[in-house]
Amino acid sequence: MAELRACSLAVVVCAADADALDALVAPGYGARVLRTAADEALFVTAPEVVADVAREVADRIAALDDDAIVLDVTDGWAAWSLAGDDAERAFSYLSHLEAPANRAFVQGDVAHVGAKVLGEPGCLTILVPAYWREHLRERAVHDARAHEVRP
Amino acid sequence: MGSLRFEGRRVETRDGDTIGSALFRHGVRTFSRSLKSHRRRGLYCATGDCANCLVTVDGVPGERACTTGVREGMRVQRETGWPSTEHDALAINDTLHWAMPVGFYYKVFVRPRWLWEVAEKVIRRTTGTGTLPVTAAAAPKPTRYARVDVLVIGGGVAGLAAAAAAEGRVLLVDEGQIGAAASDPATRAAIERFATQARAAGVELLERHAAIGIYEGPSVPLVGPDELVEVEAARVIVATGAVEAHGVFPGNDLPGVWLARGAARLAALHGVSPGDRAVVVANTDDAAASVQTLRDAGIEVTEVRGRVLEARGSKQVASVTVLTPEGRRAFACDALVLSLGWAPRDTLLRMSPDPEVSGAGDVVLPGCTLAEAAQSGRAAGGGRPVEPRLAEPWPILEEAGYVCVCEDVDVHDLEAAWDEGWTSSEILKRYTTATMGPCQGALCSRHLSSFAESKGAAAGAQGRTTARPPARAPRLEDLIGGVHEVIERRTALHERHVEAGARMDRSGVWMRPGHYGDTNGEIRAVRERVSIMDVSTLGKFWVAGRDARALLDWAFPLDVGAVAPGRARYLLALDEAGYVVDDGLLAALADGTYYLTSTSGGADRMEASLRNWADRLNLHVHLVNQTAHLGAINVAGPYARELLAALSQDDLSRAAIPYPGHAEITVAGVACRAIAVGFVGELSYELHHPRSRSVELWNALLDAGRAWDIRPHGLDALDVLRLEKGHLFVAQDTMPDDHPTKLGLDWAVARDKTSFVGKQALVRMAALPLDRKLVGLRFDGVPQRGAPLSVGERIVGRVTSCAVSDAVGASIGLGWLRTIDGAFPQALVAGDLRATVTPMHFYDATGERPRG
Repeated sequence: MAELRACSLAVVVCAADADALDALVAPGYGARVLRTAADEALFVTAPEVVADVAREVADRIAALDDDAIVLDVTDGWAAWSLAGDDAERAFSYLSHLEAPANRAFVQGDVAHVGAKVLGEPGCLTILVPAYWREHLRERAVHDARAHEVRP
Repeated sequence: MGSLRFEGRRVETRDGDTIGSALFRHGVRTFSRSLKSHRRRGLYCATGDCANCLVTVDGVPGERACTTGVREGMRVQRETGWPSTEHDALAINDTLHWAMPVGFYYKVFVRPRWLWEVAEKVIRRTTGTGTLPVTAAAAPKPTRYARVDVLVIGGGVAGLAAAAAAEGRVLLVDEGQIGAAASDPATRAAIERFATQARAAGVELLERHAAIGIYEGPSVPLVGPDELVEVEAARVIVATGAVEAHGVFPGNDLPGVWLARGAARLAALHGVSPGDRAVVVANTDDAAASVQTLRDAGIEVTEVRGRVLEARGSKQVASVTVLTPEGRRAFACDALVLSLGWAPRDTLLRMSPDPEVSGAGDVVLPGCTLAEAAQSGRAAGGGRPVEPRLAEPWPILEEAGYVCVCEDVDVHDLEAAWDEGWTSSEILKRYTTATMGPCQGALCSRHLSSFAESKGAAAGAQGRTTARPPARAPRLEDLIGGVHEVIERRTALHERHVEAGARMDRSGVWMRPGHYGDTNGEIRAVRERVSIMDVSTLGKFWVAGRDARALLDWAFPLDVGAVAPGRARYLLALDEAGYVVDDGLLAALADGTYYLTSTSGGADRMEASLRNWADRLNLHVHLVNQTAHLGAINVAGPYARELLAALSQDDLSRAAIPYPGHAEITVAGVACRAIAVGFVGELSYELHHPRSRSVELWNALLDAGRAWDIRPHGLDALDVLRLEKGHLFVAQDTMPDDHPTKLGLDWAVARDKTSFVGKQALVRMAALPLDRKLVGLRFDGVPQRGAPLSVGERIVGRVTSCAVSDAVGASIGLGWLRTIDGAFPQALVAGDLRATVTPMHFYDATGERPRG
């Protein structure tokens, strides 16, 4: 049975020209870069370094696109992880998307709502808009039969 | 050994039994009554292809007894016949066939008109195949998604060989248990060998999952006992085999008439003899194996080749007449076993003409040997589609006999329909309902096209009827599997509302408080003191980039340049036809960027529209949808400013936060954008803030607001408050073809702007007379929303919003009104009430109160 856990992650969005995002050097601090659209990138990071990541992205993108938006939108996202040997099978009850490989990500329909899915060692991390936090939890528990592990 | 309950009686079962085998061993011969004539029907195909043995199992109708395995204590009930299946008074229908010719329901019960209503009830009670348990709650199954390179449907020799030969991720699915239905040793051994190979090749074998269709993609839904699986496959190989041909001759539907594989299966797998004296009409090579199986079971078998002319019997078959090469011969028997030819189970294959879908085994090579099946499977698995073998000439229909056993359509019915002018297989199907029963034409669809061909139907009118999903009958709960109607968006304050006793209502995609137990009290709090409302559901966007103003100027009819930093302005969103699709607020920020809001339900459309125009116009704009990221709380009432002052050190004066305007302030330690708004007609500040701080801010406002007896208000109060102010709800008070003039919103349109979305349409419509508009109404009672507005006998509009307003001291509303002879009537009737047209601003007509 897959284990479902709420994750503590921070998210920074950068809305900028496609060319600028293409040329942007990824920030440090272990942030993962998700190119969610030609003119948008999300930076997923640990909460304790989110300010550093936002600042670094803002500094770097400013040189490429002077009116780009960089914003800490952590509040707008809820993150759940599916872990364990059955994680991919559990995920197949939630989405037609193929589970991403480690370090890869996909975006699309998960439990009938828009989501970003990150492949990580031993688990899948699913990001959904915060207002769907409970919806995803319920569907993961009921449809994917995941076992929720509360801290 | 075990048992099941059959119509109240205990029936012993054996390991591996199906319901059909257990009941047959118990002496049951009549499993159902036919749809129209109530003729006895018994086990026939025993392979799940026909619908003769549908029974109700544990309250669930429509289960096939021949393929459903027994479970200890299961309750089985036959479904048709009155008062019972065994003793069916309605069997008299069989002698009244002349009174129920094909299509009779189109011709009789026409006059008097009430007759059909009576007849329909009778027909519905006496036909059908079981009763749906309407009181049982459907338990939707979860849906699993699978992507594979190759999907093989069918776990016989051909399917397993194909799966073993295919490369990549391969899934093989079978509706039963692989190998369980094979009745002869050679087939069983071959299946076992290929199954081992397939497993060794890493093929996933999925049993008890039925493919019910092939859709574009190809995409194949599978129905399993506990789940639905939606498979997306690069290639699909259909290896569903073939069923023996259905014989059409007088008496062909009598219990005791069998298809050969079914009879052999019953004998070999379940140790049940289909009869003591069997006549096997053996016109296929495969028949020899069936004959041997029956003989091994101790049955006296007479093997004969030829055409069956007639079967006779009352409760079951007792004799058969066959036209053999030696002439006409009659045999006494209690089982007539037919091996007349092959009907490929090709429904799935015919659903998809895509090259990615191919067949293997009997489905394309009907009657093939095991070796041919394996060879064709390997070829299909390796990506080399097998050329279908031309079907053998179909057995000629005799002069009588049932063509479609599900729907009780016989040869005479087809003849009659043909004579009436239904001269193609497709319309014969529609008129006679042949092929439309539970077996979906598995047995009879070839007969139908063969009949049309024999009658000389035009070339395009004699083919097989179109194959459509479902190929296997799913349950209703299967069809709703994976569909969750409730996808709730919840604000960060959801739990707080529930704790406060709010009645949570679905409002579009959001769950929102309808009220907290006292709507009038909530209204008074807003009008007389102070109140708060969770408005986190509003769409919220940040628009930046050097072309931000150009985009907004194009997208909306307001003059964006006139909105100074720190100010806000009501905005309408129009489509290109000039119709109002949404509304909201635009706030100009100091850095040349903009913050705008939309209605709660319009956020997605607003974002899509803005991105669309930015892209089409090639504008340098960056847009961030902050709907999820930001919460918003509206603080409203005469003491709103005092409440904020108690929690903030910032300047809250009219100069600092003008109406309509905005400023960044800190309230209870939470950074907020405070937007002075006037939707409820009082001094109001929407506090837009990070979602994670919503609860903290909400609690602080409630705590500090005790001094003014604060209470939160919900949607019910909001509906009255905005109505008193004459503010409309887009969608509730608007129609899809409303332009601003009809809504009294011309003031929100800067017509002197060069261009904006919908301007050309507005210009054209301005030249037309206004024949409908939204008006304010006063009533002399309490009307209902949606009530028609009329003048005399003529309906001229309807009420879109209404309420009894304490603040106004009257019953008020908004409604649509059409002109009569070019003028809008002023005195109306709304249902039983009198209504008078009034200005829409019922409360604070001068608009002073929101300014504080």
